[in-house]
Amino acid sequence: MEILNNFWNALVGIFRDSGISTLDYRNYIMIAIACVLFYLAIKKQYEPLLLLPIAFGMLLVNLYPGIMAAPETTLMSAKECIAAKGTTQGYAVTILDGVKYYNVPHNAGLFWYLYQGVKLGIYPPLIFLGVGAMTDFGPLIANPKSFILGAAAQIGIFITFVGAIFLGFTEAQAGAIGIIGGADGPTAIYVTTKLAPELLGSIAIAAYSYMALVPIIQPPIMRALTTKKERAVRMEQLRPVSKLEKIIFPVIIVIVISILLPDAAPLVGMLMFGNLIKESGVAERLSKTAQNELMNIITIFLGTTVGATATGVNFLSWSTIKIIVLGLLAFMMGSACGVLFGKVMYKVTGGKVNPLIGSAGVSAVPMAARVSQRVGQEENPGNFLLMHAMGPNVAGVIGSAVAAGVLLNVLR
Amino acid sequence: MDMMGQFTISASMLLTGFTIVFAVLVFLILIIWLYGKIITSAQNRPLKKKKIETKVIEEKKPVTKTVFKAADEPVPEAENGLSDEIVAVISAAVYSMYGSENKVRIKSIKRSKSRSAWSNAGILNNTRPF
Repeated sequence: MEILNNFWNALVGIFRDSGISTLDYRNYIMIAIACVLFYLAIKKQYEPLLLLPIAFGMLLVNLYPGIMAAPETTLMSAKECIAAKGTTQGYAVTILDGVKYYNVPHNAGLFWYLYQGVKLGIYPPLIFLGVGAMTDFGPLIANPKSFILGAAAQIGIFITFVGAIFLGFTEAQAGAIGIIGGADGPTAIYVTTKLAPELLGSIAIAAYSYMALVPIIQPPIMRALTTKKERAVRMEQLRPVSKLEKIIFPVIIVIVISILLPDAAPLVGMLMFGNLIKESGVAERLSKTAQNELMNIITIFLGTTVGATATGVNFLSWSTIKIIVLGLLAFMMGSACGVLFGKVMYKVTGGKVNPLIGSAGVSAVPMAARVSQRVGQEENPGNFLLMHAMGPNVAGVIGSAVAAGVLLNVLR
Repeated sequence: MDMMGQFTISASMLLTGFTIVFAVLVFLILIIWLYGKIITSAQNRPLKKKKIETKVIEEKKPVTKTVFKAADEPVPEAENGLSDEIVAVISAAVYSMYGSENKVRIKSIKRSKSRSAWSNAGILNNTRPF
């Protein structure tokens, strides 16, 4: 009889702790959303390197919320402590109403530890280190006017800030939402952890989702704002850039931006450090590590833990829906402003600039530049805009870091 | 926050954001343009010196020049704008492809009007977006 009792108690205990009794309907909705993201990442191949870890983090935290639980301390009497841990030695003592209690710590969930890199703003600059080591700034150095397009595409950030303010968000939250328009995941995460950490899950997921959806969101805007003639413009070949210019570039950029906007220094500094170790050619091992192993490890940690912030309770709210809508508007306006400035450059240069490269001013490297290439080639199959679009594209990375510096400086 | 407050904050942020982002990036354009000019002119300077030195040597040793010309094959007819160095590089590439056993004579060098099928395939392969 006792055996059956024990068996029954064990079954009840397992059922009580299982997801069937602990999860609510919001967790199941989030599990379904995670599955949709799996589909987009695997079948549609939308930014799978980011979307897959995010979706898996989302899935896991909604199945087992304890994986993101913070460390706790339980107060135990001497008896309880000895029963649980076998000793009272080594535990801090708290006396309440004359009774001695021992502070028994409980470890946090795995993702909570990994998440500290996001919370403390460590991962985004490290991602920028890898991005810098992978980026060729040659097209931007060859055509520095691309910076104008990189700046124009940041306009969406500030217009969205206005929209968010009028929808009732605080100034800091509005700044964090606006940065989605920069289409730069690490920058969005960095700014949000500093300004509105409570919105991190929604903003990070919105930012990465829109980056993944660049090939769907941008082409209709590009076609709507340009004429057939403008889209068919063939651009002159860029001048070759010497190695010395490429080596000096990161040093100059980091000096100028760090002096003018110190808040942007962690992001721009690491971006340029990565680029310098690549271009210098004397630290190939460091460059390869930054591009591959380090980048991959940080992407896994960042992706899974950002996904793990999207629990049903946090994510399924009106503010998330507003953030997703505002983020989409920010992204669309950034792309549109880039194209419109591209049109201005088309007029000013007498038709030498194809306005399609303007939309690449939103960071999303290199996806946005590839979209410019694809839309340009639809009009004229012999047109190769990729390298021309890479100029505004990498300028957009610097531009969004500058915009982040402005937001942090003004709103923090 | 009242409507007026929202409007004030929004207008301030729009103005500050636009101005600073554009000012910083325009400043960077100027700096990059400037240092690009400086580096390009600094790198071209030693080349000019070299050219002058070569001319001087050629003037001093006219015999060598004549001997070289006599031994040389007729210079291929090259399109305007192609320097002797480019002609030499193209010729060397052709010889390296066909090998020294096959006797090849390059009669003219013209810029191709359109890319070859192979070239197009290569470019498409490297730039295909999705």
